[in-house]
Amino acid sequence: MALLYLALGTVFGFVLSRSGAADYNYIQAMFLFTSFQLYGIIGTAVALTAPGLWLIKRYGRTVSGRPVTVPLKPQHRGNIVGGLLFGIGWSICGMCPGPIFVNIGEGKIYAFAALAGALAGAGLFGAIYTRIQSAFRLPRLVVRAGRT
Amino acid sequence: MARDFIVVAMPLILHHLLPIHWAIAGAGIALITLALLFLANRRLGISTGFEDVCSFVLPIGYFSRDAVRLARGWRLPFIGGLVLGGFLSAVLSGAWTPLWDLGIFDQVIGFGHAGKLAWMFVGGLFIGFGTRLADGCTSGHGIFGLSNFELPSLISTVSFMAAGIVTTQVVYRVLFHL
Repeated sequence: MALLYLALGTVFGFVLSRSGAADYNYIQAMFLFTSFQLYGIIGTAVALTAPGLWLIKRYGRTVSGRPVTVPLKPQHRGNIVGGLLFGIGWSICGMCPGPIFVNIGEGKIYAFAALAGALAGAGLFGAIYTRIQSAFRLPRLVVRAGRT
Repeated sequence: MARDFIVVAMPLILHHLLPIHWAIAGAGIALITLALLFLANRRLGISTGFEDVCSFVLPIGYFSRDAVRLARGWRLPFIGGLVLGGFLSAVLSGAWTPLWDLGIFDQVIGFGHAGKLAWMFVGGLFIGFGTRLADGCTSGHGIFGLSNFELPSLISTVSFMAAGIVTTQVVYRVLFHL
């Protein structure tokens, strides 16, 4: 199975690399409204994923016949505040999380600094989770959830 | 002939390649998202991978959740694929070489190598903290969540698009001028 994930990730990374989604100039051009490229990519992806998702959920099973489960994300104040913080970072780096890894593969040295920052930021969040939990109405920390 | 069209697309930073059409790229992303679910029952999401990496070095409650530990087996190879995809993209378009080029950042803002690394690290902090607080990024909220009509994803996506627009407008139209 690991090879399947590696293969899907490779195709995904190649598409991000060659489409502009992992390109600093294209990200800035999206936020400056001087290029339609990224809006076209995200819009097309959502427009095609939505009906596909509906069909898979309606079918209810994976290709091997096991039930399909779509874990839903919780709603809380972190959606807005975290979204705003992430948007600032996306603009600064010209990369969202996927393209950080793609840019590292392409050989862009500065992407390592972006990854180091992202890991530090995620680490900080994990470290202070219980302290900001109530302020953002975050879900209770479940360490042992059984099967997921 | 179609060749008579004047191509006005902006080249990529990587080897000055012309990008593939947005409709093809969007369709490719949709196919991979659907393949992950249909073949392996996985919900696309990349920023959770930061937790996977953190879980190896930070033995604290948040990173030792089952939700993190049990997903490392698929998300880490997927992320490895992202790196490999970028690598192949560079190799197949000429050669893989270490790059410092950052497009309009070099033309307008400048800084040196050290300044660029510091800029990226700070941006990365926002990305890492923000995506964990929002519980998703462009893939999990923007692509999968919106496609699945999830309200938290709509709220998050509107928030990060708005903040991105404001930040870039301030950087390139107020602080530095294109």
